[in-house]
Amino acid sequence: MTYSAEISRANPSCFVFLVDQSASMNDPIGGGGQRKAEVVADAINRLLAELSVKCAKEEGVRDYFHVAVLGYGHTVGSAFTGPLAGRDLVPLSQVADQPARVEKRVKKVPDGAGGLVETTTSFPVWVDPVANGATPMCHALARADALVGDWVARHPDCFPPIVLNLTDGESTDGDPATAAWAVQTHVTADGAALLFNLHVSAANAVPVTFPDTDVALPDPYARTLFGMSSLLPQHMRFYALQQGVPAGDMARGFVYNADITSVVQFLDIGTRATELR
Amino acid sequence: MFTATLRVPKRGNTERECEDAGRVRSADGTVLAAVADGASESLLAGEWATLLTDSLLDSASDVLRDAESFAAGLAVAGLAWQAWLDDYVVGREAAGRPIAWYEQPKLDRGPHATVLAARFGAGRWEAAALGDSCLFQVRDGRLVCAFPLDQANAFDNAPPLFNAFNRDTVLLARHVRIAAGTTEPGDGFFLCTDAVAEWFLRENARGGRPWRVLRGFAGDLEGFAGWLDAVREEGLMRNDDVTVVHVDLG
Repeated sequence: MTYSAEISRANPSCFVFLVDQSASMNDPIGGGGQRKAEVVADAINRLLAELSVKCAKEEGVRDYFHVAVLGYGHTVGSAFTGPLAGRDLVPLSQVADQPARVEKRVKKVPDGAGGLVETTTSFPVWVDPVANGATPMCHALARADALVGDWVARHPDCFPPIVLNLTDGESTDGDPATAAWAVQTHVTADGAALLFNLHVSAANAVPVTFPDTDVALPDPYARTLFGMSSLLPQHMRFYALQQGVPAGDMARGFVYNADITSVVQFLDIGTRATELR
Repeated sequence: MFTATLRVPKRGNTERECEDAGRVRSADGTVLAAVADGASESLLAGEWATLLTDSLLDSASDVLRDAESFAAGLAVAGLAWQAWLDDYVVGREAAGRPIAWYEQPKLDRGPHATVLAARFGAGRWEAAALGDSCLFQVRDGRLVCAFPLDQANAFDNAPPLFNAFNRDTVLLARHVRIAAGTTEPGDGFFLCTDAVAEWFLRENARGGRPWRVLRGFAGDLEGFAGWLDAVREEGLMRNDDVTVVHVDLG
């Protein structure tokens, strides 16, 4: 149980993203005007883009991971739009090559002289914002459970699958704790499957990243999601600390109204391309 | 004098996907050797490692004089990379395979590699390194120098790396390590990328004689690859690209 298995094309791992697409995702996120549905769609698209770039080589993106994106709202199923619509686990190379579209977005970057300059970057889109229906989180976790169980049976030595749930936390089909626990009972030779949660909330509360206690969390939904989340493996805590996030020994894979794309940087696929300081 | 270069990709990868480079060159009674290890997370890491070793070995300047000279040599290689990359991008366009959205961020950032270069001749050797590729000097059945790392537990997956776009020679020089020593007839030198270097130091620490194993291949790449399969299978060496440049002064 070391979370140190080599991630390779011969021994790939998998990611299952769960995206809350319920009607309550129409509400704005705390402290900002952006709708929660837009926040989670942006987060998923950035996660998929970062994962693709991380695994990119000159001949294409290597299939170090297979990826599913399941939406849950008026129904539970694939949240991919475009060529991948309707599919569950997809090799990462196909994800990278088949976004629904590639948008151009303007972002500000340092100009090297202490200021900022606007530049245009490519922003691939696989998932659009959706907000419709109830919040069948238990059903979605059960689907993830099935995908992870099948994956682990076929890849018993792989780096454990990671399930990342993006939600406003208000499950409408029961207490999700049991279904969340079931996901984490699937074990490879390298450790148990990991369940992380991103909670987007309308409450204007202080953002929290990888806490080791639920004391500072503002509502019962956040505390439930915290309790469902896996402990961060040691190497992930180390990388979080490197990024300036104080992740303690009991830090959990839980983020409240904050960025979770750093999770991609917690994955080891070989020598890290770091700059000298 | 005997020299040999052994280079094998990590298990599961093709030879074309190997991101290590190693080269040795003899001129005027002097032997120059270099190894470089492209970072797995980089794009075109193997091409960068090859260009880096070529640039250092073919340099008209004395890049091994001191840390500043080595840093200047690295910066020259970086300039050559920019020209190489421009041609590469044009070539991809011409081949109808333009740079994809997921490649561009890594191309913009530039490739990274560790690098080690050494010179052997006239009773003396000199070396310079950035990162965890290592040089070992063996004399009379004993490891007499391990550079720049001398402990197997000193290796990790974030060694100092040279980015092709880094032109800050002051910063580079601060990370460059240099070493020098004397040579005697019969001395053996091994320039190793990290996985085999880590194995070498661990074997030496437990009383083994890893140089005997490496010397035994005498340039036999097939035999070396077969041996690597076995030690990887036994868990004695990380699955990584491996390069060894062996210089035996005879």
